[in-house]
Amino acid sequence: MEMKFQYKRSWRILFAALVVVGLIGIILGFVTNPDRTWANILLNNYVFLMLSIGALFFYAIQYVTNSGWSALFQRIPLAAGIWLPIGFIIVLVLYFGMPALYEWTDKEAVASDELLIYKSSYLNVTFFYIRAVFYFALWIGFAWWMRKLSLKEDIQGTLHIEKHITASGAFIFAIVFTFTMATIDWIMTIDAHWFSTLFGLKNLLATMYYAVAFMILLLLWLQKQGYFTIMNEAHRHDFVRYLFRFSIVWGYLWFVQFLIIWYANIPETTVYYKPRMSGEWSLMFYLDFALNFAIPFLALMNDKVARTKTVMVVLSMLLLLGMWISVYLQIMPGSIGKCNIGLIEIFTFIGFLGLYLYLVFILLSKTPLIPVNHPFLEESKHRHL
Amino acid sequence: MSKKSVIGVFDDENRVVSAIKKLKENKVKINDVYGPFASHDILSLVTKPTRLPHLAFIFGAVAAILTFLFVYYTSVINYPLSYGGKPTFSFPPMVVIIYLITILGTATLTVFAFIGRTAMYPGKKAKMPGIGAMDDKFFVVIDQKNTVADVESLMRNSGAIEIRHEEF
Repeated sequence: MEMKFQYKRSWRILFAALVVVGLIGIILGFVTNPDRTWANILLNNYVFLMLSIGALFFYAIQYVTNSGWSALFQRIPLAAGIWLPIGFIIVLVLYFGMPALYEWTDKEAVASDELLIYKSSYLNVTFFYIRAVFYFALWIGFAWWMRKLSLKEDIQGTLHIEKHITASGAFIFAIVFTFTMATIDWIMTIDAHWFSTLFGLKNLLATMYYAVAFMILLLLWLQKQGYFTIMNEAHRHDFVRYLFRFSIVWGYLWFVQFLIIWYANIPETTVYYKPRMSGEWSLMFYLDFALNFAIPFLALMNDKVARTKTVMVVLSMLLLLGMWISVYLQIMPGSIGKCNIGLIEIFTFIGFLGLYLYLVFILLSKTPLIPVNHPFLEESKHRHL
Repeated sequence: MSKKSVIGVFDDENRVVSAIKKLKENKVKINDVYGPFASHDILSLVTKPTRLPHLAFIFGAVAAILTFLFVYYTSVINYPLSYGGKPTFSFPPMVVIIYLITILGTATLTVFAFIGRTAMYPGKKAKMPGIGAMDDKFFVVIDQKNTVADVESLMRNSGAIEIRHEEF
């Protein structure tokens, strides 16, 4: 019923320019400080993988729960899942940066370390990449399958809803398992001696948190451009509820992980929190907690305030910053060991953001913005408070 | 507590709605409307937006502060126990207790506030303005002292089949 998304030339050029800025940042980084640059590439790759996985997670949840309100917007998470193939390529490229990031790839360090010898049957480069290929094959396969079903639906009608629900359920099952493992592989093994069983789950749930924030920004921007004029207060309310809910979940999991380690006070586990809570990282440590839990939780408590556009935009931006800081805190202390935010960090992030937006908009412009034959479309259109 | 009331009896939903609209235009305070089924139109006309969430927030905040003071008193002032080498005033374990008591306090106090405000309690007999309220009639109940002179004619004009003056 509504037109396709027109990908304006000026936007293409802007995003391409951002990518160029990012490339300059990465080249600059490799010249001055290669270790830090590898860490940044891992960081940004993981951040945008989180957005992609989270968006597809959101998409699948809507099908599994038979949600009607979101039917209008289902093309947005589908397009936001585009980082998966790019992420795969970057994970492959990261092979060259592994010595800079992961202590367990250094044969000499492993040989003199009892714990790493013990872990080496799991933590070795070959198995690491076998797992990575497996994860990506699963994710890309599911994303491709769900996109195909959604496009078929546009042409053939609502025949495929049952299949869609099955695909979504299987996808959720798959990512809960694999993304947890992937997080452990890519992020947690940076601190090879430390472990937390909550780590993967916390990041998995955080993916949808940040993906919803990203989708809110994208949707409100699209509405400003004249698309999705049908989106009203009720839809915004539903979106913002996700943020509120996940702020509580995030705060809960963060605190559970922290409390257990704080209380037990065992050197093997406190080694993770000690450097982060004191010295140069402490500002980011508290900023992480404030941006991801305290501010959203308090600001979204009143629903009338929560669904105003200004609050939504500001909070979503803060959340995306919070996501970056949260992952930064997970990666940097273990890999480069110095809190140093400079041109490399900013340029690399800008470059990745440009590439991500460039691809998301390409995918958006290829299909109708609204899934024309979605069975719950009418319910979604007439949603009101 | 029965008060002298004017009760308008209707047998059609649309007529009730128009009657309520007219009554509201004339600034008549409607006590309650009884009917066989829930109607969005009637609900949105008669009920005021709820303030219960604000009350729940206040309960939660008070519960959190009081629990903090309680835990602080027990673990720091009254019975300071060195446990695992932790300082007596350490906030993280207090959070768990504050969190739980806040939820408990908010939930129970909000329920009691709701029961108190709506005067509903277990075992209360339902008020029935007439037999038809379970069947096919709508009853608009207005306090006698709130009525203006032409309440009766207002209701009659918009389709009331009967006007009763009762203790209700």
